[in-house]
Amino acid sequence: MKSSPLTILFLVLLFQENLFSATADRLLIENTCKGTPSYNLCLSVLLADPHSQNADLTGLAIIAVYAVKNNGYQTLQQIEALKKFHPELMAALTQCGEVYKGVVDVDVPLSINALNLGNPKFAEDGMADTAVESQACERSFQDHAQTSPMTNANKAMEDVANVARAIIRMLL
Amino acid sequence: MMASLSDVENSITTSTLPYSYAPLPNGEQPAGNDRPVHSSRKTALFLVSVFLAVASLVALFAGNGPVLPKNLNTSAVPSTAGMPEKVAPLSRGVEKGVSEKSFHPLLGADNSFPWSNNMLDWQRTAFHFQPKKNWMNDPNGPVFYNGWYHLFYQYHPDAPVWGKIVWGHAVSKDLINWRHLPIAMETDEWYDEQGVWTGSATILPNGELVVLYTGSTNESVQVQNLAYPADPSDPLLIKWVKYPGNPVLVPPPGIDNKDFRDPTTAWKTPEGKWRITIGSKINKTGISLVYDTEDFKTFELLDGLLHAVPGTGMWECVDFYPISKQGENGLDTSVDGPGVKHVVKASMDDDRNDYYAIGTYDAYKGKWTPDNPTLDVGIGLRYDYGIYYASKTFYDQNKQRRVLWSWIKETDTEASDIKKGWASLMGVPRTIVLDKKTQSNIIQWPVEEINLLRTNLTVFKNVVVESGSLVPLNLPSASQLDIVAEFEVDKKTVERLNGADIAYDCAKNGGAAQRGALGPFGFSVLAHEGLAEHTPVYFYVAKGVDGNLQTFFCADQSRSSNANDVDKSIYGSIVPVLKGEKLAMRILVDHSIVESFAQEGRTCITSRVYPTKAINNNAQLFLFNNATATKVTASVNVWQMNSAHV
Repeated sequence: MKSSPLTILFLVLLFQENLFSATADRLLIENTCKGTPSYNLCLSVLLADPHSQNADLTGLAIIAVYAVKNNGYQTLQQIEALKKFHPELMAALTQCGEVYKGVVDVDVPLSINALNLGNPKFAEDGMADTAVESQACERSFQDHAQTSPMTNANKAMEDVANVARAIIRMLL
Repeated sequence: MMASLSDVENSITTSTLPYSYAPLPNGEQPAGNDRPVHSSRKTALFLVSVFLAVASLVALFAGNGPVLPKNLNTSAVPSTAGMPEKVAPLSRGVEKGVSEKSFHPLLGADNSFPWSNNMLDWQRTAFHFQPKKNWMNDPNGPVFYNGWYHLFYQYHPDAPVWGKIVWGHAVSKDLINWRHLPIAMETDEWYDEQGVWTGSATILPNGELVVLYTGSTNESVQVQNLAYPADPSDPLLIKWVKYPGNPVLVPPPGIDNKDFRDPTTAWKTPEGKWRITIGSKINKTGISLVYDTEDFKTFELLDGLLHAVPGTGMWECVDFYPISKQGENGLDTSVDGPGVKHVVKASMDDDRNDYYAIGTYDAYKGKWTPDNPTLDVGIGLRYDYGIYYASKTFYDQNKQRRVLWSWIKETDTEASDIKKGWASLMGVPRTIVLDKKTQSNIIQWPVEEINLLRTNLTVFKNVVVESGSLVPLNLPSASQLDIVAEFEVDKKTVERLNGADIAYDCAKNGGAAQRGALGPFGFSVLAHEGLAEHTPVYFYVAKGVDGNLQTFFCADQSRSSNANDVDKSIYGSIVPVLKGEKLAMRILVDHSIVESFAQEGRTCITSRVYPTKAINNNAQLFLFNNATATKVTASVNVWQMNSAHV
């Protein structure tokens, strides 16, 4: 194939522009994550979603809230598995199931809704509530004088929710 | 914030006691020994209560069970001949033949968590405005019109969480009993498709009523819209019309599409135009834009701002109104003149609190300046030191007063709100006047109509509460109360105490369990008999190195519930106490809301409380004194509160 110098120049310029805008979006993501309590977690959450390349701050917040939702679904599955293998923990696990259902069915839709409708403070409330719920799940084991098998999961949820909350606060 | 208020405090209090004994609050008839008002049972109750005052130790605050308090400075607790030592209060209702069983926690289930229907049902209030179900937030367009008080409010009809918001509507003759009406405005236009947000009403001189409100458009841009009653002769104003030319205002250049909301009631300018203000922000500086209009349809943006304060973030729900320097009445929003100050108030999006400042308005420039820049909007005084947001006043021409409404959110989890089917209350409406004694803050007080719900008064006069003791107050019931009390600490103790650096902070100093020489003392509301759950509302007095006293007023939710998913913060602030004033407290208890007022409304705290045990027949009221060095003398009036139509 014959390539004229003009074509090559055009392609180089096109490639460069994509590189620049990708860098600029990466800068937004990095700066946003610096304002959250868990920089690395924030980076991994945002970069895992290809939409983050073109997202504004509201878009990044929505991505973080979706990460909370995915985390919530995974934790619910974990709870079901734990119920099968640790029936002695049924009472606390049942409570945890309820609170995580709340995260997925109530907190996440509330936050997404608030971000889309343009009133981010209610989105912050949803993520703050998620952190409270994950702590409540952890404490429910103590309330039953048992050791929690979900400490890591609950902490992970709390951390992601706090990242989402921090991003949302930047919109206030 | 509290440090700056101490400037006010220090300039007025002296080294002698700032308070002294005074008679019971005006208007109340004490049911003393010589005048049994209701029955001789009152006398018996009074005597029993006094004897019980010495029976128990307050260490229950600090631990899980009765534990001796440290540093009990007083002489041996005077014994009451024959009274049992354990903390069991005299059973309520025993005289009426109610069995003891009603005072033990529900047997069978561990009733602390998760939430039972019994616990959730109890949370609904008896005399606070709330829709039958689902979510409410900001009060909107409050107004007295054609003989009715109107309240509109941000309402989500579909769920007990925030969402696509419409204007709910209710009317009342007395601000206490309400008739719920159909939704006034829905999200049925492109310019309010994402929400019919907050707005205000203005009554024009010809009697017409107009409303300006924020719409969130189909593209989430915040615009201002005009609406008016479809039928002005309908006293209930059920149907509303949106001006066909809406929106009447869009975000001006330099203002973000999402930083332009909550237009105020309009007031007259010297040129005879109407003027409104709308909160916004530029970077992190909270600002208030000013617009003039002649017809509420076309507006002119003024060059400057009404006011701005750096670092305060977005100003939501701005409110602007005159208060009289000398008079006791409220003023119409258009009033101006030498006898008048102006208040600027804003809801700070960043920290979810309502702040206000008193200052001077220049009507020609459209600018306002605070009297004390260190107490400017957003960095100084708050209407309320608890849960209180998006508040809005209106001038009630019916009774010539300025009335304040506020949104009181839930502080439990969203999941609980879904389960119980509703979320949020309005605070009890309050009148606002300038504090004539301090001249540097406002006074808020529940509207007088709330007193109509009072019934069944119980009086406890001159109850001596020894250091480290707890007094159960014998009452028929304790979930719906109006408590008015005065306290006096021991003068000699205060005089001989050494002063120290005062570094008290309600939120950080451990609540009611943390003992000081002169505090805390006050009430435990919504208290379980063993204090497994209780909510102290108290004064904490501290003597400074210079001999001056500072008084703090706090509400402590840290032990309010066994549930692990409710807010357990401690709220409060310093409260100015002037020479000659007694320490005075009023508390309205209405199930899951507690509103506390110190010094006749100088400092206010609204709390949400969600007990699992201290509900229904198991809710009680205690007096306590956890100070190490002084006894406290309390005189208390407690009314049962009837329910209203809410």
